[in-house]
Amino acid sequence: MKSFLKRYGWVCATVLVVAAIAVWFFISENQSGGEGAPGNTLSNLASGPAAAQEKISWGREILSYVTLPFLLEGAFLAIKISALAMLGGLVMGLGLALLRLSRFSVVRALAWTYIWLVRGTPQLLQLVFLYDALPEIGIKLDTFTTAVLGFALNEAAFSAEIIRGGILSVNRNQSLAAAAFGMGPLLTMRRIVLPQAMRAILPAIANDTVSMIKLTSIGSVIFVNELTFRSQQIVGQNFKFFTVFIAAGIIYLIMTSAISLIQAALERRFNLEIERPAPGSGFFDRFVGFRSMPPSSGEATVPPAVDPAGRATKKTGSGSPSIWVDALMAHEHWRAPVEQKPFVTCRDVWKSYGTREVLRGINLTVNRGEVVTVMGPSGSGKSTLLRLINHLEGLDRGEILVEDKHVGYELANGRLKPSRNLAKARAAARIGMVFQHFNLFEHFTALENIIEAPVRVYGEKPENATVLAHKLLSGVGLARHAAHLPHRLSGGQQQRVAIARALAISPRLMLFDEPTSALDPELVSEVLGVIRRLAEAGMTMIVVTHEVRFAREVADRVVFMDDGRIVEEGTPDQVLVNPTQERTQRFLRLVEHEIEVA
Amino acid sequence: MMHLNRVATATFALGLAAAITAGKMDSASAQGAKCEPDQIATKYPSLAGKTIKVATDAESPPYSFRDPKDFNRVIGIDVDMARAAFKCIGAKMELSLGAWSGLLPSVIAGQNDLMWDDLYYTAKRAEQVDYVAYMVAGTGGLVRKGNPKNIHDFADLCGLTGTAGLGTVEEAALRDQSKKCVDGGKKEINILTYPDISSGVRLLQNDRADVMVTDLALVDQLASDNPTLFERGIKVLSDFKIGVAVRKGNKDLLSAIYDSLTALHGNGEQKQIFGNYKVDAGLIVTPTVLTK
Repeated sequence: MKSFLKRYGWVCATVLVVAAIAVWFFISENQSGGEGAPGNTLSNLASGPAAAQEKISWGREILSYVTLPFLLEGAFLAIKISALAMLGGLVMGLGLALLRLSRFSVVRALAWTYIWLVRGTPQLLQLVFLYDALPEIGIKLDTFTTAVLGFALNEAAFSAEIIRGGILSVNRNQSLAAAAFGMGPLLTMRRIVLPQAMRAILPAIANDTVSMIKLTSIGSVIFVNELTFRSQQIVGQNFKFFTVFIAAGIIYLIMTSAISLIQAALERRFNLEIERPAPGSGFFDRFVGFRSMPPSSGEATVPPAVDPAGRATKKTGSGSPSIWVDALMAHEHWRAPVEQKPFVTCRDVWKSYGTREVLRGINLTVNRGEVVTVMGPSGSGKSTLLRLINHLEGLDRGEILVEDKHVGYELANGRLKPSRNLAKARAAARIGMVFQHFNLFEHFTALENIIEAPVRVYGEKPENATVLAHKLLSGVGLARHAAHLPHRLSGGQQQRVAIARALAISPRLMLFDEPTSALDPELVSEVLGVIRRLAEAGMTMIVVTHEVRFAREVADRVVFMDDGRIVEEGTPDQVLVNPTQERTQRFLRLVEHEIEVA
Repeated sequence: MMHLNRVATATFALGLAAAITAGKMDSASAQGAKCEPDQIATKYPSLAGKTIKVATDAESPPYSFRDPKDFNRVIGIDVDMARAAFKCIGAKMELSLGAWSGLLPSVIAGQNDLMWDDLYYTAKRAEQVDYVAYMVAGTGGLVRKGNPKNIHDFADLCGLTGTAGLGTVEEAALRDQSKKCVDGGKKEINILTYPDISSGVRLLQNDRADVMVTDLALVDQLASDNPTLFERGIKVLSDFKIGVAVRKGNKDLLSAIYDSLTALHGNGEQKQIFGNYKVDAGLIVTPTVLTK
């Protein structure tokens, strides 16, 4: 509450001042409006010699109408209708927007038909239809319900398009990263996509709210006794349209200005460029952000004393990520032995995008604790292979086993079928993924990025997750950046946060998709250093990379792919130093040349 | 038995028809000419305990408008008559305020029980609602002071701009006249419709219209209250009747309205109400029921 006041104190102050002025006038002026609007009949049209005196009292007369309870009741009615209708309209609009984005064309068509129909007919006709035509089939609604329903149904059609536009404006990589961490579609929408879409959605929705408050005036046709109708009634008997309508206009302006203030406050809330204090524990934050945790001060990274012998006995891929934390923080370079048990098996994997064949019969085995680097020219299918391993995309032919299990596939009649809950399958497989463009959740701090999957997907307690996250951040050397948003970090720093994020889910396998390709050369080494330490601690990794030196020093095996096939594979000495295939040699010459030039 | 019922109904209908032309309903309903509010359960059983919703627009003086001394009150000859009638019937009533053009549709749809707001009887409307007529109307054409366009008759309107209320009998009359103009080789009438009285007056005042065609009582009041601005250009004493519109099939309500209006007519209350608003008592007629 205190932080709310601190941030929006100026908004509250303005509202209070305006309300105080209104109340003062309300009390001080004659209630029935008899003074400001002298009891007139139809004879008030004449403006004769009294005109001069009238001009001076216009101001007071307008003010008396602005504070007239009769008109203010109409304004309150307009607010009530608009508030309820906007609420209902936004909820329905969100539903319609999601239907429009559905996989099934029938669902999309239904949603589109509704939007086409309701958007394309005048709102006045819709209201009259609801009020006067429905009784013929037995549905008789009172005026308030009709107005709220009519406006809500109409608003649903418009806000559906606004929300859909906002959702589409969010970078697709955000949902890709969420999917890689086992977040289901609804969770992704709620936690990742919608908060980022709000920046695009808010201004348009505020527009609609302002419009609706003013559009309630058409409700007079269905017996809604709102502000405009009431002012027309006053004018109907005293004919002073000028002062009465100006007063009504002022009342509308006050109401719509309040909407603008709320819009400004909400835009501040969703603005990523403003430095935020630690997230509060209000309802909204709990739904969209996360529970309030005291940010721990940047701690010095003290490498724990770990003996190499102890590490040798730890099984790779099991236990909590603190193993990796220890490994990250250790200073010695020591390598856990590679077991000879297959961890990832790809058998005759085929994948096409439309008519283009991207993978043609890939056979690959990765043992536990092994580090395999996959290299090759662009378009050779390397990234696609990674995405097939954690079922971010589906196989066309063949099979992929991780720890002897299919990820997100079920055997049905001897054939593999994608299982219904892919997100759950990915989450269970615990495969960490690091992307070329980092794909950190833009609206979360480094810390929030790391704890998101453990808390939301794996159900860990936020306190525990936060402690671990701090440790991981220290491990990658970013303890001081826990509260920073991604756009405040350099590329290398972002990638290290991404690695920490992947480690937080206790992965048994890590997939790196060109982790340093988007980084400046100076930053490459800091990321490679982290990956190297993980390798030494025994993590099973598949790294797609161009970095030949890294492959030479860290990889157990190098796989060279070209044109959807594995051309050559072997130890780094075999493939990188003495390649036997022409294509491999050509590629290596290219890459080494680039390094020299750079 | 069925045969007798049919005969009885036919006789009643014939009697009604005769009464329309001869106005002899007084004797036929002598027993309904008193106000007996506590007898509502026996006289009009379906109305007992109900609140009747009366549709009106509160922006059509002198029929229905806001009291300038207290905006929360709606007054006018139609609204006061409604109050008096329901006091006589013994039922509660509630005003349902909406724009004029939506009033009749709401009665037809059943959202409101009756409309009482300067509604003229037309055969077309009587296909949808039943009427109890209680006054005659004239049509008036309000023009600017000095009658610059020399308008004294509907036939003078060819090629000019006229304004009337949306969905009113006057609008229909203007369109009719426009057709006559065109058929006679003259220019058509440019017709603007207004949603409420005051916007129509503004059209006339701002020289956007040459004549405002509306109810004669209203035209006379506007002219006499603003002698420097307006005067009456056209006066047509038609046989237009103004009545209360009741949804078809609501026999109890129709009888209740008819009986109470007859009582008000008889005991002089109707004349008194008209006098309060300076409406010519000569427009009052004996209440009649019109079902087609």
